[in-house]
Amino acid sequence: MAYPLVVTKRMMEHPTDSHTMERYEATGGYVAARQSIGQTREELVELVKASGLLGRGGAAFSAGLKWSFLAPARPAYLVVNGDESEPGTFKDRQLMERDPHQIVEGMIIAAKANEVHDSFVYIRGEYPKPARRLQQAVAEAYAKGYLGKGIFGTDYDLELTVHLGAGAYICGEETALLNSLEGRRGEPRLKPPYFPAAKGLYMKPTIVNNIETISNLPHIINQGSEWFAGLSDSADTGTFMMSISGHVNKPGNYELPHGLTWREVIYDVAGGIRNGNELKAWVPGGASAPWFVPELHLDKPVTKEACAADGSMLGSGAIIVMDHTTDMVGAAERLVAFFAEESCGQCTPCREGTTWLDMILQRVLNGAGRDADIDLLLDVADNISVGLGWPPKQTTICPLGPSAVSPVMSLVRHFRDEVEAHIASAPHAGGQGVSVSIRGIA
Amino acid sequence: MSDPLVKITINGVAHHVPGHSVLIKTAEDLGTYIPRFCWHPRMAPVGMCRMCLVEIEGPRGVMLVPSCTTPIHDEMIVHTETDTVKKAQEGVLEFLLANHPLDCPVCDRGGECPLQDQTMAYGPGESRFVEEKRHYEKPIPISDLVMLDRERCILCARCTRFSDEISGDPLIEFMDRGNSTQVNTFTEEPFASYFSGNTVQLCPVGALTASPYRFRARPWDLRVIGSTCTVCSAGDSISVHASQNEVLRYLGVDNDATNHGWLSDKCRFGFEYLNSDDRLTTPLVRGADGEFAEASWSEALGLVAEKLTAIVTDHGPQAVAGLGGSRGTNEDAYAFSKFMRTVVGSGHIDSQMDDGLNPQLLAALSGKGLIGDLEHAKTILLWAADLKEEHPTLYLRVRRAAQELGAKLIIVHPRRTGLDDRATFKFGYKPGDGGRVLSELMAGQGEYAAARAALSEGPVVAIVGRTGLTESPVLAESVAAFARDLPNASVLPIVRRSNTYGALDMGLAPNLLPGRAGIGSPGCANLEATWGGLPTKAGYDAAAIATGIDEGSIKGVILLGADPVADMPNGLDLTAPDFVVAIDLFLTESSSQADVVFPALGFAEKEGTVTNLEGRVQKVNRVVPGPGQAREDWSILDDLAARMGKPMGFASAEAISKEIAHVAPAYESVTWDLVTWDHPDGAVVPVVAERSPLEYVPVVSSTSSTPSKSEFVLHSARTMYDNGVMCQQGPSIGKLAPGAAAYLNPDDAERLGVVDGDLVRVASTNGQGDLPVVIDSSLTDGVVYVPFNQPGGPRFGSDLDVSVVKL
Amino acid sequence: MSWSAETIKRAHDIVARYPEPRSAVMPLLYLAMRQDGYLTADGMKQVAELVGITPAQVQSVATFYVMFKTEPKGKYLISMCTSISCYLMGADDVLHAIEESSGVPAGEADDEIGVEHAECIGACGGAPACLVNYELIEGLTVEKAKELVKWLRDGKPETINGDELQTLFGSVTSFDWAIKEENAAIGPYPAFPVFGTAAQNTDALEPGRGA
Repeated sequence: MAYPLVVTKRMMEHPTDSHTMERYEATGGYVAARQSIGQTREELVELVKASGLLGRGGAAFSAGLKWSFLAPARPAYLVVNGDESEPGTFKDRQLMERDPHQIVEGMIIAAKANEVHDSFVYIRGEYPKPARRLQQAVAEAYAKGYLGKGIFGTDYDLELTVHLGAGAYICGEETALLNSLEGRRGEPRLKPPYFPAAKGLYMKPTIVNNIETISNLPHIINQGSEWFAGLSDSADTGTFMMSISGHVNKPGNYELPHGLTWREVIYDVAGGIRNGNELKAWVPGGASAPWFVPELHLDKPVTKEACAADGSMLGSGAIIVMDHTTDMVGAAERLVAFFAEESCGQCTPCREGTTWLDMILQRVLNGAGRDADIDLLLDVADNISVGLGWPPKQTTICPLGPSAVSPVMSLVRHFRDEVEAHIASAPHAGGQGVSVSIRGIA
Repeated sequence: MSDPLVKITINGVAHHVPGHSVLIKTAEDLGTYIPRFCWHPRMAPVGMCRMCLVEIEGPRGVMLVPSCTTPIHDEMIVHTETDTVKKAQEGVLEFLLANHPLDCPVCDRGGECPLQDQTMAYGPGESRFVEEKRHYEKPIPISDLVMLDRERCILCARCTRFSDEISGDPLIEFMDRGNSTQVNTFTEEPFASYFSGNTVQLCPVGALTASPYRFRARPWDLRVIGSTCTVCSAGDSISVHASQNEVLRYLGVDNDATNHGWLSDKCRFGFEYLNSDDRLTTPLVRGADGEFAEASWSEALGLVAEKLTAIVTDHGPQAVAGLGGSRGTNEDAYAFSKFMRTVVGSGHIDSQMDDGLNPQLLAALSGKGLIGDLEHAKTILLWAADLKEEHPTLYLRVRRAAQELGAKLIIVHPRRTGLDDRATFKFGYKPGDGGRVLSELMAGQGEYAAARAALSEGPVVAIVGRTGLTESPVLAESVAAFARDLPNASVLPIVRRSNTYGALDMGLAPNLLPGRAGIGSPGCANLEATWGGLPTKAGYDAAAIATGIDEGSIKGVILLGADPVADMPNGLDLTAPDFVVAIDLFLTESSSQADVVFPALGFAEKEGTVTNLEGRVQKVNRVVPGPGQAREDWSILDDLAARMGKPMGFASAEAISKEIAHVAPAYESVTWDLVTWDHPDGAVVPVVAERSPLEYVPVVSSTSSTPSKSEFVLHSARTMYDNGVMCQQGPSIGKLAPGAAAYLNPDDAERLGVVDGDLVRVASTNGQGDLPVVIDSSLTDGVVYVPFNQPGGPRFGSDLDVSVVKL
Repeated sequence: MSWSAETIKRAHDIVARYPEPRSAVMPLLYLAMRQDGYLTADGMKQVAELVGITPAQVQSVATFYVMFKTEPKGKYLISMCTSISCYLMGADDVLHAIEESSGVPAGEADDEIGVEHAECIGACGGAPACLVNYELIEGLTVEKAKELVKWLRDGKPETINGDELQTLFGSVTSFDWAIKEENAAIGPYPAFPVFGTAAQNTDALEPGRGA
């Protein structure tokens, strides 16, 4: 299986020094950036629009269109989101660690396209090594005059600051990230009115792009939008990186073309299930995506559209594979626990609801489940994500709360019998449980 | 400036309303109440509690949105009562109750708790939450005034937002994250905010409670009456809550014109003195042994009438002086004014304690503005006392203007002020050097160029006063004169003491007569007829009265709620006059030296009107009867007048107010009905030609400075909490006075060889004191700042020049 | 003020990098952790003063992010990932082994070793994985985890180097680590080398706008 590579090509071909300035420049590096400095905002925005590049952070929105929405006021900022924290996702880590100059160059292009002179990369705190690599690249680029005052000998100034997070998944949400970068709690902002394109960092117009999205830019400049669009038959152009983890023989990051089937991804790319076990289910697009099961989805294509049609998403491109030995209640609990732990605590349904869901699942796992718990799970979930549909109708400020609903829905939809089995094996099986009177005391 | 109307349909009924508002507010105005916890009309919406979710029809179908963050727009279709909305709201309520303790019977909020009310109205009867609730230590004191119970908290962020966005003291914050999120203070730093009580009032549950009110009453047992706060001169609207004849709390009432519902803690908790055991309850007469003895009213009144009559007979009416009148009602002040002028016949009367401004500037400044002008100001010039210390709710309004409304703020002050963090320009200077600063600012020279340019952009609001007690009032007047002529300018000359403006409007100043008339002003025919003649020349002000006492020309002194010994910067020698009578609530430094003391009723014990710094007349009301035999000031003076053979004929406060409306030109047509019913925010009495016999136009007279030869000059200013009797008689706030200290610039401290906490001796010609050093980098070299009137603190008078020596 | 003049200067440099001083709060909190091993009240006050906000605001930010520790966590903090991919690959057993062999229950610390469970650390392809002073080990096993604890207890290393840890205690990785970092060693206590925690000159590695 030799798929065309874009963003991982250099690191695959030059495994020992793809991170260095020497190797980067020897393999065509910074040519695109140099060229972009001579181009206008309109030219660059149109080029990226035409390439069909979609944001790779999970939302899959046209990168060029996003740029075109940037409000005209200046100063404006470019913020690159390297806070990848969705369970199952580790692709940006590899891009930062192994090809950091690709990111620096992509940022120069994005900055020029948006007439930005101050840019930031926000890297999650758990990634000190990628941060060091990227910082090294930034220092080298400054030394060469590719960053700083008058870059590439022109009169264009561009500052680039590497900024570390400190352990908060929610900072992957772009407005939470901006709050964090401003030195605040990483609480998502209200949209409206705080759309980053108009009121972003320091309430100034701000572009927020993902690491993988940015990494594609030098290639689009060098090889053209038609080439990039031609890499895919799908509306989703270019390639995409997939992080595969769980019970597969070959976990890891893979840069893939669009349109493979799940069977190809799991059995060919990732080498199949460990120990020859049976595939039970997988999370198709990061921890917040509703699960897929082999009976229904194994031969469906791995595209944004197909996932959406089946009530899930490709999201951040992370798949987590579970074999037949998996306790699905345990897996669901672990996913819900993540969101409960990572809830920022701002809005009521997420703060209280995700924890409540986790408490119920833990109780079921610990042999204290009640018959009423399945309905209770669904109703609590419904109060976070109205109607339990996909995409969610959230009662919350941001999508984190409904993300905790996905595993609960998936569990009950596909593995209700396992939940019932846990409850049935409980010492006090079948009890209706107790309730606490509110009005009587109040 | 009205917004274009938009069409909005709520639950099938179409309305046309102005287009700039959030849905929750518009719906409420139209009669549809949407439940909420975090939203508050005076704070930016955060959409956190999610209680106000409603459905709107949008291009992508029906959406569930928080109505507090959703702006209305034309052709908006809103549903607030669908099954989806009800389920979402019930769901939020269930989430909020999941971890909320059911301790309503022992919770101070019980009976006035939004969470309790909404649970009764919308909530489920039972909770399905059977897991262990969150536990925290409860309650914890987060300041001297506020207790925090984190188990009750529903994390609406009203308190944290208030402290951050409104009062500018972000000392309570959300800590931790997710389900562990809690409100708290920094580990080592209490919620020491002058405005902390507002968070208690804002709290929609019983998480924040006020120590002075905890477990004192149930809401349904309280008698509540609206009134006007008289702690400072801003005229904040409050409600007074009493039970069993005792005032138990004040709450802020939202008045668009003044306080926006906020109060300082000094105001909110400043009711405690009313309930003090030290209140005077009977007249006191000093006996031959020099000690006070309780006396009957008739005995005491008779004695005072006799003594005053004798002084007038022996030395002429000008041998009697009156001080005070700024702490009572306008009716009390008018009675004092009339008593002094018509019964005694003396013009030596002053309601300011030599610490204020020219009375004509305060009462009758041409071009005087309103607090509300701050809402539209482009540039604000603040050259006055630190508003945070002396005018706390005005401070909040200026903060809002600079922070939320984008006004440029120029501050000129010798020291850091509470608004420095919002200042576009801040200029420090050495007291005594203000004239030079003013002339350079006027000319836009050097460092003042940009600020001067900003002042060319109107509307300009100038808040002008004395930055400290050692600064000449002439400087403030010169600043006012400069500011008046700025584009579209309104000027607010400010002094702190509660009803000073009302007292001046009633003529309690040597050069003013009731109704903003000067001596000899035309248009005072009614006054002349009622009083049987008018004074023809100005009397002594407080400073001249002090001199008169020292020189022996003043033989008798009448104090009306005044404590000049403590309040006058240079003090007052009350041992010298032959006879001193005081009308007061307490034995103060001054009244304790009187020969006769009459017990007076205080705030909330009497009714009347008061006038704030804008000239806004508002009502104060009676809620409790007051202690013992205490009486209204006017009634005591009325009795005295009768006994001196010149009855004033006052029957009630309301009757006096009718006389004021009749005789005082500016107050013509100001009736109680007007200020009570037609104008809940009070009635402004503007300085305009048709109403004011006097339109005072100040002139710039102070544009140079004579540099002091002294090594140090003194900056002395009041702090919110001090040694004032109303502060010290309140157990909650009395202890909050910062205490006396000598604040020095780091360079000066280094030169003197002192560090924080070392003792220095500060001395002026009037006094000296040994004070601990506090390093204060906001001071200019050669300035020592000593807070005025602190418990146990020294008194330096208004001398600029002082010496500072290391001990 | 407990910080050295050099550290204060470093802090001022960090503040100067940002358009608004408050943005420096998180970098300065890492610096403060480095000073004291965790965030002391003094450290937070220092940060507050440097960026011009209140200590309460600093604490509010600090306690939002789990990597900022407001209590001592020992010299070596082991953060064991227990999120879904690591859970599927046996992370709970590994965490249990770490707790047992160190005698430190998750969430607690003795003078030497702190143990905690962590949410996803982005090493799902190398599950189960943990961080030691925030440096990564992928492909951990119960046995290797016990060895790690013993190595820390017995060896009391003065620097923690991610590549060394991976060589000694790791196995399968999320991707080819390929290049070794020479200057990546960090000192004891959870904090970042990027702010100069090592003996080596790390100035060039400090996040920011280059030299």
